[in-house]
Amino acid sequence: MYANLFVKVRVPHCLMTARILIIEDEALVAMELRYVLEDLGHEVVGMASDARTARHLVRETEVDLALVDIHLSDGPTGVELGRELGQDLGVSVLFMTANPGMVRNGVAGTIGVLSKPTDERAVQTAVDYALRRRTGQLIEYAPPGLQLFG
Amino acid sequence: MSAPSDPSPAWAEADRLAALRAFDVLDTEREPAFDGIVTLIARVFDAPIAVVNLIDEERQWFKAEVGLGVRETPLATSFCAHALLEQDRMIVPDATADERFACNPLVTGESGLRFYAGQLLKSAEGLPIGTLCVLDTRVRHEGPTALQLEALEVLAAQVMAQLELRRALRQRQQSESQFQAVADSMPQMVWSTLPDGFHDYYNARWYEFTGVPEGSTDGEGWNDIFHPDDQERAWTRWRQSLTTGEPYEIEYRLRHRSGVYRWTLGRAMPIRDESGEIVRWFGTCTDIDDLKRMEQSKELLSQELSHRIKNIFAVVSALIALSARRFPEAKAFATALRTRINALARAHEFVRPHTETSRPTVGTMTLHAFLADLFKAYAGSDEAARVLLSGDDATFDDQAATSVALLFHELATNAAKYGALSVEGGHVELETRNEGARFILTWREHGGPPVAGPPKHSGFGSSLATLSVEGQLGGRLDRDWAADGLCVVADLPATALSRRRAALDVR
Repeated sequence: MYANLFVKVRVPHCLMTARILIIEDEALVAMELRYVLEDLGHEVVGMASDARTARHLVRETEVDLALVDIHLSDGPTGVELGRELGQDLGVSVLFMTANPGMVRNGVAGTIGVLSKPTDERAVQTAVDYALRRRTGQLIEYAPPGLQLFG
Repeated sequence: MSAPSDPSPAWAEADRLAALRAFDVLDTEREPAFDGIVTLIARVFDAPIAVVNLIDEERQWFKAEVGLGVRETPLATSFCAHALLEQDRMIVPDATADERFACNPLVTGESGLRFYAGQLLKSAEGLPIGTLCVLDTRVRHEGPTALQLEALEVLAAQVMAQLELRRALRQRQQSESQFQAVADSMPQMVWSTLPDGFHDYYNARWYEFTGVPEGSTDGEGWNDIFHPDDQERAWTRWRQSLTTGEPYEIEYRLRHRSGVYRWTLGRAMPIRDESGEIVRWFGTCTDIDDLKRMEQSKELLSQELSHRIKNIFAVVSALIALSARRFPEAKAFATALRTRINALARAHEFVRPHTETSRPTVGTMTLHAFLADLFKAYAGSDEAARVLLSGDDATFDDQAATSVALLFHELATNAAKYGALSVEGGHVELETRNEGARFILTWREHGGPPVAGPPKHSGFGSSLATLSVEGQLGGRLDRDWAADGLCVVADLPATALSRRRAALDVR
């Protein structure tokens, strides 16, 4: 049924592949996200369940986009981590959280927040949007389900 | 003046004695105020004896006297006891010529009293408690002069004024010490200020809690005991009350003698006089620190729990998708199940306990806000909503959330598959109407493919919608398969959306 909906919405096919880092402490959610992103042709360069591992991975690897949960295995460290990745390390950052109220006022240097649980289509459009912004492409509209900051 | 033939008083002796004793003056020390009065009246009359005489049960007792040298004498020989039966005063120019006194030993004996002038001392209720009187050994056929009578009357009134004043002062001291005892035994801190807010009283509990020296927080010193972050707020609020006369109520942190700040509830009320002017403020401070902590930890717990629940939805949703990944034939089934779970998760977000930071980022937490959020996934390519909401908004609670979410999730997915949302340009009107006892939601599809009539067999989604409305919400769900678009009416009892609140309202 989503396939149906999907054709009607003019989402351009993902023309670019990106190097994506998943920062998420629920292994099942991270795994599912990884499959979805790989199906879309992206490369998942790593999965981190805490801020320290995430920082380490970003130093070791080139990352275009990070999908960041707020509550990680070392506590609510996602907000500060997202700010650091976006502002200091040049990574595009999308928050993905079950509690989007935590970042209601926005986080400097990051794009926006996707509310969990979500679905493949919302992930695809949000990731696509983030990558288009990263490469300075024309953006027709913000995808539904993604709350933008700023 | 001669004696009335039948002297029967207008008052009862018991009342008179009670009135006398209420002044609590019998057997007290001499006082200059009264001594001065008897000295003066004796001189005005040029008489040797003057007395402030109070008539007790079996004696007359002298609060002040000149010329007698004793403080009391028996009633039997009293002139004044007779005076009490008169209206205002008694004058005896020559006691030997008055049958009431001719045989009185004070007249026949060594004392040789002849002249008497006594003005009654009357309580506010008009009961005579004694006299201010003057006595002389000289017969005065001419009687007192007008000036002497006036002096006697005025000074008798002064004696009563002095007695009343002493009684009022005593009562006030009594009520003050009663207040003190009550205030000091209260578990709260109690304070009081002048109308301009100048603190001039704190009870014992205040000093016990704060540990500051007595009197050190008079005036505006109290503000220093407040937490620095709360001082300005408390001042503003207090000044507002002083200006407007509104009751004062505020929560702030107060420094305990241990140095620790404790949350405190401060309240104050103005006391007004008969003209409505504020004459005083009375206030209390209640230590609510334990309560506050309990509230905070309860809040934290419910936040944490809610957060976990929301996360579990995400895990379940991911688990379904992962499980279906190996079985392409299960994809449609998994997607349908997953979107239902996601709809429930959205509904939970709207009804869970929230704080300022966890509140959903979109709109308010009402039915319309929730539905608008749910239907966002079905928006047109230009982001315009395709399910148009109108009518009365309502609040809904966690008990109704599941059913409402499932009902509209099923209607919307069905419309996206077969109905108005399956074609470009189609849309749905959703009207919610509060009709007193009923709450009616009408879903009307427009611009979709022509409807051929009811489907041959109803799917699970349709059963789920019916179950939600008729099973869970106690309402009725009617579907009209009109050719120009499906119309679904959910007719709910008005209380179905918020049962807990409805139960509270009944109480």
